[in-house]
Amino acid sequence: MSATDITPAGMAFCFLLLLIPVLISYHLNLKLINSTIESAFRMTVQLAFVGFFLTFVFELNNSLLNFVWVLTMVIVASYTVLKNAQLKYGPFIVPLTLSFALANVGMLLYFNSLVIGLNDLFEARYFIPIAGMVIGNSLRANIVGINYFCDQIQRNENRYLSSLSLGAEKYEALKPYLRKSLRNSIRPTLANMATVGIVFLPGMMTGQIIGGSSPLTAIEYQIAIMIAIYVSTMMNVMFGVIILIHRGFDDYGMFRKDMLKGE
Amino acid sequence: MDLIKVEKVCADAEGRRILSDLNISVSRGEKVLIKGRSGIGKTTLFRLLLGFRTPSFGTIYFEGRPMDPRLAWDIRKKVAHISQDSDIGEGTVKEMLDGIFSYAANKGMLIPEELQSMLSEFSLRADVLHKKFENLSGGEKQRIAIIISLLTKKDIFLLDEITSDLDAKLKRKIVDMFVGNPSWTVLAISHDTEWEREGVRVIDLEKLQESSNVCN
Repeated sequence: MSATDITPAGMAFCFLLLLIPVLISYHLNLKLINSTIESAFRMTVQLAFVGFFLTFVFELNNSLLNFVWVLTMVIVASYTVLKNAQLKYGPFIVPLTLSFALANVGMLLYFNSLVIGLNDLFEARYFIPIAGMVIGNSLRANIVGINYFCDQIQRNENRYLSSLSLGAEKYEALKPYLRKSLRNSIRPTLANMATVGIVFLPGMMTGQIIGGSSPLTAIEYQIAIMIAIYVSTMMNVMFGVIILIHRGFDDYGMFRKDMLKGE
Repeated sequence: MDLIKVEKVCADAEGRRILSDLNISVSRGEKVLIKGRSGIGKTTLFRLLLGFRTPSFGTIYFEGRPMDPRLAWDIRKKVAHISQDSDIGEGTVKEMLDGIFSYAANKGMLIPEELQSMLSEFSLRADVLHKKFENLSGGEKQRIAIIISLLTKKDIFLLDEITSDLDAKLKRKIVDMFVGNPSWTVLAISHDTEWEREGVRVIDLEKLQESSNVCN
């Protein structure tokens, strides 16, 4: 059993739905019309590209190629985090990419070998889509974590300085900020975990069921993937903020405002 | 040897000159009142001494060593600084104290009996510990900050407007305490006349900088 293809007419009807947000945006002056069209366009082009590419990659199923593809995802993800954070690329892109690779690829290898029990750890059918889910979630949380940290350290600068003048080492003084950034960025993932199945059926599970898997198999995978997402997200945000703590402060322990992008 | 020496220091912020050609020496045990109208750079001077900012010209010496990052971290462990900004922490006073005294530099310095006696000394009720710091009045915050600085057992104090929100009796008591201890070095920024007394050297930042405007 396999899912029914969506016909071109069906796709057209689907895009027609976008008229609703466009109209709402027009009437409430949300200024989201351009972004809506741009995002939908980008999504379509990217997915079309990925669709063809993945067909090719899956048929070839070459470990090295799969690995390179996931590394590309990691690099794009790090780049996207910095694009959406207030930080400049130069000092952060390399360590952030490394931390993404460590947290996510490490998690994937563990997952594929011990959880799913694959013989070929880099098997395209598993390695690439699961990488997408894990990295995608880490990316979102990392943006939240890093932005929150930058915001707080600037807004509550006085608290940080007073900790320093009370004898704190840099790490001691920044621990509350690390703690809050982590809690803040990880909370949506936790909430997802706690409501999954009742409030929403996650995309992967929906996809598997439509694709013909039994709901029970879909659930097994869903549980496993959610745990993997939670763990890798936590590690990723922690690494991200630690990188920021290392690179974002000068020798005097002052936050380097020159690391921020100009307004 | 001077404990603190500020030599030909200039400081700028956002293109504006805050301090120009400032020269100050303070020896150990001295009590110094720093005066001058708002915006003259009193707080900036303290920030320079703590390494929270660097001078655009000139040098700051502490115990004879010129300022560098390592010295700045040392100074922060040797000096008790009370900021004029009272936004120094969150949560209950107890949680704040626990946080501060969990730093390696302050481990084991929070002695409950000592804390209790200081609270009553400064007319604070013991239940203040369970109140949220941000909900305290200005005067309560100032007294908590003073108590924290005393508990850390430093002998050099940088005090930025620590008596502004206190009543006359407490003002006198606190100035007595800081001025009266011969082994303490005290630099106080204040508009309170209570600090202007015998044995306290007054540095007027306005007058000190009147003649000078050279910094390159």
